[in-house]
Amino acid sequence: MTHLAVEGFATPEFDYRLIIPTLIVFGGAVFGVLVEAFLPRTSRRPVQLVLAFGALIGASAYLLLVTIPHVAPGSVVRAGAQGTIMMDRPAVFLQALVLLLSLVAFLVFAERRIDAGGDSFTPSAATIPGSVAERELTRAGVTQTEIWPLALFSVAGMMLFPAANDLLMLFVALEVLSLPLYLMVGLSRRRRLLSQEAALKYFLLGAFSSAFLLFGSALLFGYSGSISFAGINEAIGTNLALDPLLLIGTALVSVGLLFKIGAVPFHSWVPDVYQGSPTPVTAFMAAVTKVAAFGALLRVFYVALGDYSWDWRPIIWGAAILSMVVGSVLAITQTDVKRILAYSSIAQAGFILTGVAAANTAGISSTLFYLVAYGFGTIGAFAVVTLVRDASGEATHLSRWAGLGKRSPLLAGTFALFLLAFAGIPLTSGFTSKFAVFEAAASGGATALVIVGVLMSAVAAFFYVRVIVLMFFSEPAPDGPTIAVPSFFTTVAIAISVGVTVALGVVPSWVLELAGDSAVFLR
Amino acid sequence: MNAIALLSDEAVETPLQVAGEASGVFSLTWLLVALPLMGAAVLLLGGRRTDKWGPYLGVLTVWIAFAIGALQFIAMLGEPSGERAKAQDLYTWASAGIFDVNVGFLVDQLSMIFVLLITFVGGLIHVYSLGYMSEDAGRRRFFGYLNLFVASMLLLVLANDYVMVYIGWEGVGLASYLLIGFWNQRPDYATAGNKAFVMNRVGDMGLGVAIMVLFATFGTTAFAGVFENAPEASSGTILALGLLLLLAACGKSAQLPLQAWLLDAMAGPTPVSALIHAATMVTAGVYLIVRSAPIFNLSEGARLAVAIVGVATLLLGAAIGCAKDDIKKALAGSTMSQIGYMVLAAGLGPAGYAFAIMHLLLHGFFKANLFLGAGSVMHAMNDELDMRRFGGLRKVMPITFITFMAGYLAIIGIPPFDGFFSKDKIIEAALGENVWLGVLAAIGAGITGYYMTRVVLMTFFGERRWADDAHPHESPKVMTGPLVVLGLLSAFAGLVLAAGNRFVVWLEPVVGEPIEHDFSVPVWVISALVLALVGVGVALAYLQYASKPVPVTAPAGSLLTVAARRNFYDDAINEGVAMRPGQYLTRFLVWFDIKGVDGAVNGSAALIGGSSGRLRRWQSGFVRTYALSMFAGAVLVVGALVLVRVS
Amino acid sequence: MNEFPWLTTIGALPLAGAVVVAFLPASRATLAKQMALVISFVVLGLTVAMALQFDADSVAPFQFVESVDWIPQFGISYAVGVDGIALVLIALVAVLTPVALLADWHVIVDDGKHRVSTYCGLVLALEGVVVFAFAATDLFLFYVAFEVMLIPVYFLIGMFGGAQRSYAAVKFLLYSLLGGLILLAGVISLYVISSRELAEGTFDVLALGELSLDPTTERWLFVAFFFAFAVKAPMVPVHTWLPDAAAAGTPGTNTLLVGVLDKVGTFAMLRLCLPLFPDASQWAAPVVVTLAVFGIVYAGLLAIGQSDMNRLVAYTSVSHFGAIILGIFAFTELAGSGATVYMFAHGLSAAALFVTVGFLIRRRGSAMISSYGGVARVAPVLAGVFLMAGFATLSLPGLVSFVGELTTLVGSYERWPVAAVIAVIGIVLSALYVLLMYKRVAQGPATENVKGFKDLVPIEAAAISPLIALAIFFGFYPQPLFDVINPAIERTIDQVGAPAITPDVVSEAIGGVR
Repeated sequence: MTHLAVEGFATPEFDYRLIIPTLIVFGGAVFGVLVEAFLPRTSRRPVQLVLAFGALIGASAYLLLVTIPHVAPGSVVRAGAQGTIMMDRPAVFLQALVLLLSLVAFLVFAERRIDAGGDSFTPSAATIPGSVAERELTRAGVTQTEIWPLALFSVAGMMLFPAANDLLMLFVALEVLSLPLYLMVGLSRRRRLLSQEAALKYFLLGAFSSAFLLFGSALLFGYSGSISFAGINEAIGTNLALDPLLLIGTALVSVGLLFKIGAVPFHSWVPDVYQGSPTPVTAFMAAVTKVAAFGALLRVFYVALGDYSWDWRPIIWGAAILSMVVGSVLAITQTDVKRILAYSSIAQAGFILTGVAAANTAGISSTLFYLVAYGFGTIGAFAVVTLVRDASGEATHLSRWAGLGKRSPLLAGTFALFLLAFAGIPLTSGFTSKFAVFEAAASGGATALVIVGVLMSAVAAFFYVRVIVLMFFSEPAPDGPTIAVPSFFTTVAIAISVGVTVALGVVPSWVLELAGDSAVFLR
Repeated sequence: MNAIALLSDEAVETPLQVAGEASGVFSLTWLLVALPLMGAAVLLLGGRRTDKWGPYLGVLTVWIAFAIGALQFIAMLGEPSGERAKAQDLYTWASAGIFDVNVGFLVDQLSMIFVLLITFVGGLIHVYSLGYMSEDAGRRRFFGYLNLFVASMLLLVLANDYVMVYIGWEGVGLASYLLIGFWNQRPDYATAGNKAFVMNRVGDMGLGVAIMVLFATFGTTAFAGVFENAPEASSGTILALGLLLLLAACGKSAQLPLQAWLLDAMAGPTPVSALIHAATMVTAGVYLIVRSAPIFNLSEGARLAVAIVGVATLLLGAAIGCAKDDIKKALAGSTMSQIGYMVLAAGLGPAGYAFAIMHLLLHGFFKANLFLGAGSVMHAMNDELDMRRFGGLRKVMPITFITFMAGYLAIIGIPPFDGFFSKDKIIEAALGENVWLGVLAAIGAGITGYYMTRVVLMTFFGERRWADDAHPHESPKVMTGPLVVLGLLSAFAGLVLAAGNRFVVWLEPVVGEPIEHDFSVPVWVISALVLALVGVGVALAYLQYASKPVPVTAPAGSLLTVAARRNFYDDAINEGVAMRPGQYLTRFLVWFDIKGVDGAVNGSAALIGGSSGRLRRWQSGFVRTYALSMFAGAVLVVGALVLVRVS
Repeated sequence: MNEFPWLTTIGALPLAGAVVVAFLPASRATLAKQMALVISFVVLGLTVAMALQFDADSVAPFQFVESVDWIPQFGISYAVGVDGIALVLIALVAVLTPVALLADWHVIVDDGKHRVSTYCGLVLALEGVVVFAFAATDLFLFYVAFEVMLIPVYFLIGMFGGAQRSYAAVKFLLYSLLGGLILLAGVISLYVISSRELAEGTFDVLALGELSLDPTTERWLFVAFFFAFAVKAPMVPVHTWLPDAAAAGTPGTNTLLVGVLDKVGTFAMLRLCLPLFPDASQWAAPVVVTLAVFGIVYAGLLAIGQSDMNRLVAYTSVSHFGAIILGIFAFTELAGSGATVYMFAHGLSAAALFVTVGFLIRRRGSAMISSYGGVARVAPVLAGVFLMAGFATLSLPGLVSFVGELTTLVGSYERWPVAAVIAVIGIVLSALYVLLMYKRVAQGPATENVKGFKDLVPIEAAAISPLIALAIFFGFYPQPLFDVINPAIERTIDQVGAPAITPDVVSEAIGGVR
């Protein structure tokens, strides 16, 4: 068993420079709240936009220009009291990825040309769906702007999550990223009841999973007498009498994390929530949350439980296989585009877990690479979904998409590209990333996973292909949906996603190298 | 093989004459094939542009080929007997590993005979066709096909490698298919063409497999290499080769059990029947066997099989010849029968090879003559075929009649006409090898006498039973000319060739010296007896068809007659044995492929889809269910971990 | 000898052209066709130019080699090069692409439903990708091409095909994709092994050929590879996607699908299965050969039973692929070279038949044999061409397919006598299915159905004549093909290392009197 994490050096004092990006985002969020409180409604949106994008861009800029050079391998990167936050290369990579994906997702948030009412969010979440108040607010053309600070808070949480270096910070980060999401899910302008139901489900189940995580953490603390990952790692094997604690603790913590990445059997919330929430939020959630959660998962398993991998690998194996099978098979009979994408994302989680299961550096780098490919592809796909609309909002029922290729080849072509990427067709990011994780798994001795993987890829291909058939090979319905012409925001978002999806398929080596260099955790 | 002591098993060593480099006129050998081929290409690709002069070009190429052949023949006569074989290699056709096949020709005494036969008779028939097909719209196409045939046939007999033989072999099959189905607007004619091609392909399988065995055994398929090393090969291999070649011969030469196609082949225009289905192509099987003498000489078993097939077909064909009222089918039956003689002779080994070829050559003359005569008659009777509608034509078509008579006397073997010299020798040789074969062959001769007399009487003698609209007339010069030539050949060629045993001597370097049998009785007695048998046949026919008038509609006839009219139910047999079962099989397979093989594919897809539908029900939408499933999952995970730990 | 990047140009030009053509406005239908045609002819010209520079006697395994790092992390490089086998097949692609475009010239027309420019783009894209599949000397690059080529075909069938098009397209894609993904598992495992054995992993086919695998692994890998190629070829019993695809595809699509795309399967068996897994190949040969021979007869009989001409041709192809695979797994130089010639020949013959069937369908609007009759009466030239194509399919001597069939079978007999003899039944079956179809379609009196059939028009003549011309030329003079192919086959056979076979009677006068 190769060591999955190497020792870093303890720094005496709290190194603020390392968490400045996170702080910037937090700052942006706090200011956003103030804006909501003090600025008149009409002038909020522009300010919020400036704040949000400013925060993200600022944070990314700092991260790229200052932090990354600072975080050369083996350098002093521990931050926070007892190293609460570990800004090692994986962390930096993931934070950067979170920021970039959020930027793209925010572009989709900002879109307001495609819906007659404005953007995709209800003017006031408090009003009862279909009530007079709601209608008046809508007529007044009021726009919802709390979404921005909420999103920023969530982003900040997501930046902390993969960097959290002890159980406490892990939990805090998890809550910080989750709570705003629960709200955002409920903010849909159309189909509000569905949206609110989704929010409630997400909240309840999220709380449930947090409980698992918390309880698991307690047990691990009880076993090792330390909350820091390093501490737990040291304790492993020292006290056989308490092994059950370690065992169950590991199990429960992983439950909490697997819930966040939407892996089977903790996936049941995914379809409903993805379908119910406003599509931009779905995109944000599906892409960025998964990145953060996988980051945390990697760190917990590779750093805290790194020398214990023979015991936790079965969990990952099981989750991976189940996710691939259930996700792919269930997607076949779905009739709603958003649900199809939801199940697809479950299956994707399974494929990514294949990389995690490799339990070697190749596993880390391939997982990181997969997250990049998956993140951009997902946002792009959901962004396209926002454009296919009819009177009642987005036309997400599959049958409505018939003949889209004839009506608007460009849009359909773009969507087809994302689907082919998910299906893992060569020259798209999807293939390179699948190849990477399978390669890692195979070299990590997880050949069985590879075989299940390829078989399920074939099954998965079926429903991706089904959508393409519908779009290109069948005649458009007379009363088919209209294709909204997006504004600058969504256009750019989709363009970026397409660019990344193709680039990672044709010339992936640059990102692969980056992921390879970032594949070393510090303890 | 000595178990079969039915044939004389005295050791026969095969002469191997080494072919010299082709030079002088022999360096033109390739033109023999190239010219008609070029003609075919021009006529078939040239399109309507060549309608005017095309046919004449077709005739010309064949006659030029004949001229070259004749020159070569003369040159050959100048050479000493052992050094007459000449080989010419054009270019490497295909080589891989030790496999190495050249496009090359071997001109020796045997192939020389064929070259002359094919180009001369072929040339005559080309001329004849100018008249016969003058009215036909597809005239150009017809001559294109004829040229294609001549080219292929010449390649067949000139090739010095079994692969090249195979190419010619299938080439003539193609030409035959195209010409039988020449008037394919008639579906039954089209079917006749298909039948011929497919049955020939069954035979071709034999040649194909033979080539495989040859290459696997000798590492070459060239005559020289094969014949030289044949003695070293195991007797089993040799027997297998023999039988495979026999299969091929049966297909091409309409021998049992692959004879069925020949009678239908009469669907083709009469010149085609004369050239391809009487004079040349159908005798290719005999050529193949004789050419492969070095192989057959090594295996009595193979030879016996050949001889038996020959005798059987000889009798069967003769019987069919007796029963047919369609003049062309009657002649076709006789063709089968006569080829039967040749095959029999070839099966007798060195004792018979020479006579097989001699009979082949002479048969080429008189059978072409007879067919063209029949064609002339049809032409006159506006394509009437039923001899019961003929009668008394000798007055109106004197030339046709006289030439036909020459052919008639030749085929029944009345000295000094052709048939006598070759057929009589074959019967004699057969008797010498095995009494039974000889007796049966002799009986065949008798039957020949019967059915040919029948044909002649029904056609040229007796009262006129013509259709009302029939106004017979002698055919134009362009048709009678060839008839006269062939008539003369039928009359005298045999005498010329037999004189001083010329022909046999000529062939000796290739097929070896014939074994002289010593009979208890002098040879002339045998000839006399055979002639007597023929006489009986003639007499019977006379009683039946000359003494009393011929009914216009065929009488019911005996069981045998009916069976013979039906070609002894060969179609029924083919249908029952091959066609019907085949159809059922294909139908079943089509069903199986869709329901079975493809069903499995779609089934597995459906399975996944179905399980998807079932799994889907778990997604009830109730938080409590979700929470429960999560809890179950958690338990599962813990359980898994514990399991791993304890195990 | 090659400063000029021949292969990259030949592969990339059509791809670039595809992009340009595909983005032409739907209104410029004719322009799109013309541009596509011109591009495909330029590619053909380049291919001929390259072929002329090919050195048949060179000892180097590959010529016109190019190689640049592509994904160094996985030891993947963009590496191309050709041996005789690949050269012949690339030439085949270059010939068949313009043929396909011409064959569909009057089929894919600007009728509002079809976007001609898209069609032309897809055809060119397919050409480019297939060229790379044949030229790749890097396993990863090959795999990419192997998978990507599915996409254009999928759209060609699905967007421009007939009634059952989307079912056929999906079936085709998923079937091939399943094969491809199993292949992917094999490719990855092979790479992992290579990175374990060598200093760092590689995808260079030559280097991979050097690996020493343990028998069990080798067999598993062979199975993974072979399955994918058997699906692609296609080989009984994984053939059922082809009849459906062919029944739905346009003539041009079928030409490329059966003439070219399927060749990648048999090509890959020769190029990858045998050299990479020599022992496993010999281990599997009996089974493979059995299936192949069964396929020859089985598919032949099925062809006889078909009522749809396109399906019929598809089944004939399956039958022929059986023979080709038999030849490949005979491990003799003659059979190997023969099989390669057969691939080339079948490319021409299948194309010819699909194209002419397309002509008929265009006139009558039906692929059913029963809806014709007596075509020869009204359109003699068309019927003649149809018959020629049929002859090419039944391997008539004088046509290149005969050369392929004969050499393949004769070569196979050396190692698998029984199999070869059974395979010979195929020649009778081929006669049956071709001639029966021709009789029902073209012979007999002209039926009402075919009244007023136009005879062959120039564009159609242009599409079909090169096929027939090539078939005849190489039928009379196939040696040039063998000259190019033999060295590559010899190398392959050496790598397999199957026990050599010598004739029972070693004759001094091999080849006979010269």
